[in-house]
Amino acid sequence: MISAEIVKLSRRTLARVFKTPVAAEVKEELDFHIEKQTREYQATGMSRDEARRVAEARFGNLSKVVSDLEKIGKRRDEVMARREWWGESRRDVRYALRQLRRSPGFAVVAVLTLALGIGANTAVFSVINGVLLKPLPYEAPEELVSVTSAFPTMDFDRFWISPPEYFELREWNQVFADIGGYRTGTTSIETNDRPLRVPSAVASWSFFPTMGVSAELGRTFSEEEDLPGATPVALISDGLWRRAFGQDTEVIGQTVRINGVASTIVGVMPPGFDVEDAGVDVWRPLNIDPNDHVNRRGNHFLNLVARLDDGVSLERAQADLDRLEVRWEEEFQGTHTPSSEFHPFRATDFRTDVLGDVRPAMMLLLGAVVFVLLIACANVANLLLARSERRSKEVAVRVAMGAGQARLVRQLLTEGMTLALLGGALGLALGHFALQGLLRVNPDGVPRVAEIGLDGTVVLFTGGVAIITGLLFGLAPLINTTMAKVGNTLKEGGSRTTRSSAGQRARRMLVVAEVALAVVLLTGSGLMLRSMATLQDVDLGFQAENLLTMEVSLPAADYPTPVDVGAFFTTALERIRALPGVVSATAMSGLPPLRTLDANDTEFEDMEPTEEGPPHNVDYWTSIDADYAETMGIRILEGRGFELADALAETPVMLVNERLARTFYPGQTPLGRRIRPGPSWFTVIGIVADMKQAGVNREAGTELFFYSPQLNRTDGFAYRTQNFMIRTERNPLGLAEPVRRLLGDIDAALPISDVQTMEQNLATSLAQPRFMTLLLSLFAAVALLLAAIGTYGVMSYSVVERKREIGIRMAMGADSSSVLGMVLKQGAVLAGLGLVIGVAGAFGLTRFLTAQLYEVGTTDPGAFVLAPLFLALVATAACYLPARRATRVDPVSALREE
Amino acid sequence: MAPKNTLLHGTLEVLILKTVSQAPRHGYAIARLLEERTGEAIQVEEGSLYPALYRMEQKGLLASKWGRSELDRRAKFYGLTRKGRARLSEEVEAWTAFSQAVSLILAG
Repeated sequence: MISAEIVKLSRRTLARVFKTPVAAEVKEELDFHIEKQTREYQATGMSRDEARRVAEARFGNLSKVVSDLEKIGKRRDEVMARREWWGESRRDVRYALRQLRRSPGFAVVAVLTLALGIGANTAVFSVINGVLLKPLPYEAPEELVSVTSAFPTMDFDRFWISPPEYFELREWNQVFADIGGYRTGTTSIETNDRPLRVPSAVASWSFFPTMGVSAELGRTFSEEEDLPGATPVALISDGLWRRAFGQDTEVIGQTVRINGVASTIVGVMPPGFDVEDAGVDVWRPLNIDPNDHVNRRGNHFLNLVARLDDGVSLERAQADLDRLEVRWEEEFQGTHTPSSEFHPFRATDFRTDVLGDVRPAMMLLLGAVVFVLLIACANVANLLLARSERRSKEVAVRVAMGAGQARLVRQLLTEGMTLALLGGALGLALGHFALQGLLRVNPDGVPRVAEIGLDGTVVLFTGGVAIITGLLFGLAPLINTTMAKVGNTLKEGGSRTTRSSAGQRARRMLVVAEVALAVVLLTGSGLMLRSMATLQDVDLGFQAENLLTMEVSLPAADYPTPVDVGAFFTTALERIRALPGVVSATAMSGLPPLRTLDANDTEFEDMEPTEEGPPHNVDYWTSIDADYAETMGIRILEGRGFELADALAETPVMLVNERLARTFYPGQTPLGRRIRPGPSWFTVIGIVADMKQAGVNREAGTELFFYSPQLNRTDGFAYRTQNFMIRTERNPLGLAEPVRRLLGDIDAALPISDVQTMEQNLATSLAQPRFMTLLLSLFAAVALLLAAIGTYGVMSYSVVERKREIGIRMAMGADSSSVLGMVLKQGAVLAGLGLVIGVAGAFGLTRFLTAQLYEVGTTDPGAFVLAPLFLALVATAACYLPARRATRVDPVSALREE
Repeated sequence: MAPKNTLLHGTLEVLILKTVSQAPRHGYAIARLLEERTGEAIQVEEGSLYPALYRMEQKGLLASKWGRSELDRRAKFYGLTRKGRARLSEEVEAWTAFSQAVSLILAG
């Protein structure tokens, strides 16, 4: 076997040395043949020249044969070289796998470590890919711009646009190719089986061309269909088409009842088309008169999206809006006229808008992932370095045997790559499962959740990371070898001499770095956990337990007057209260803790709006029904709550919340004062403790409360969309079916939506911070594990190295506890250094978490003390086993060992 | 005497495989052996021999090695690889079966 190898080696070496070109070989080979043939002929009596001529003639056109052979020969050499390369690679891989099998401990730890690091990478990159990198489902989204307004004097930084403003903008602008407007909401649609309540949107006919998307089936709205009084039409989403219409192509032209009105479906939108991540299933036109520049000037509800003209920049668009503000001011007067001072218009990049403030969070995640990957790489590098030192003898022998430097490099690279690819494959699987788990536990954590998953880009990314890692690690042993002189190793044959102090130092530094990185992650995670805990305990202003909620919307077609609306709710509530298991029930417009802002202008008696004073605008108008106090657990701070008698009373009464009282009646009491939201004056009879409406982590806004039974009598107004709030003895969801049936008995066609408990609702509103906390904690845990493994590995190796030293000490009389102490001290120094650096780093880096933290400072001492402490404990544990092994060293064999 | 060029495509390969099956030989020896063994019934065209040898080496059926020859100069020797040996026995089996079948038809 060896001789065959050597023969092959020498042939290749010779070939490489002499580099015989194909042409020369062909010539030599044919020359031989012809010479032999010539001699044969000569033996029969021919002259040499004659013999040669005939011999050559036997080849036919000799020169053609020669040139053909040269071509064939070149191709042959190429094919064979390639085959050999593959054969060598396969051999290398088999060798690498054999090496790994021989040290299973190392292999398992290395592969797992890489898998953890790469897996974390994969999961987060999938999220970032789905959320940030994947293109939005619109044409050329980089050309799209959100146009928003503001009322800075009223502290409204970002507000909607009113229809006349929208039409004027369309007419007057000089920078936009097209503009469209939309507003999301919910609506009910009656399909073949049953009424459904679905996310919906109203959109101008121009919205779809602006977004550059046309219907998959049928068409989008025409300009005529968008006018008031036009025949009602609608578009449905691909999802709804599949779910409720069985993908029937005959759906175009079908008439269905949408919000009680018979509408014709004119088109089906392509899959994935959506706005605001709302999952819009039904699109309806705005139906607004474009020539009406008088009415609805103050009715701001539209989101505008505009497409920039060719070559127009965002800055130019903003400049045009500024110009229009001036024009608006000149042409119109009134409180809601656009102007640069009171009602400015702003153009922002659409994509940034859509992704909201998610981008910094994503960047944070990326940072965490890089950290974890670095730790994993540090660990594996450590392992490989340690191993390579043990193998440097073997490597040296191979070099001496004639394995070329290049061949050796290839072998080592293959080993590194094999490791990295194994780790990468496992990491891909781990990342995939981790991602699935995360999304299942917390689906609303990030926008565009539907687009997050393992796809080609992610696999490519993971593969790339694995390959680069593999290449780096494969070369590590070689570097070590070239640093330690090969010859020395062979001569002295010892395992101690090649241990370069540089290698030792490198390994120690790696452990310090790992510990530091783990501390940073742990601290960040600790801060997030504390923040989440604080959020869970926030005073919501109402009792969230055992509360069942569901939304109903009464279509005008079936309930034309407010009296009808009122009658429905009164009847429904009476019957619900009679159900077994129900403690009390009420109905409420709007669902805390996260509601859409109303921001309605409101008049306050005996109060004139001033420059410095608050604008006369109330954030939330809420209508509540009887029994709201006991059902919701709302606290009345001053005055009294609504009573049944108020329903029939002549004087309209109202409640206000603390914030409103503080804002508009500082230092006085609002009780007895009057407020006019609409036509009538309402007397304030009580102050309610603030309820969260803008989110759990935001301060409550100003809020006023109507008494529904009274409202529809006095003002002739009723909220058609309300939420039933039902307090149950236990298990609220158990009453969902009974309530549904009950409501169905009253009105079979009434769709009910968003049936959930208040606790579920709260969880959804906290989805994003929960997601981030979960992810960060996961990383911290992985980092901790890796740092522990790394410490353990280095300490183990250190003990092995110092065996001789330990043996001497023991022989000199040191007892096991002092040996233990010696090893632990070494570990403590390393870990300690890492902790100090880590804490310092954490001080600087946690600043990036500010946006995510609720009422927790970025240098909160709790997290900053606990995290390093925890890590110190883990590090001690990791050092303990090797330290114990050190005490078991037999001094005699240790001294004898070489 | 069989005319030249009646060698079916692929038959040359099998014949070459057989000639080198016992020991590696150089191109000239292969050509002469074929002529001798078949009593000159088969005459190999030199122009097609060497391309066949090169291609067979590319396919991995033969392995070549420069060595000392009887002329005291270098010659390229072709020997059978494991793959070549396997191919040879396959072809022999196939050829035997084929010729038996043909004989049956011609006899009956």
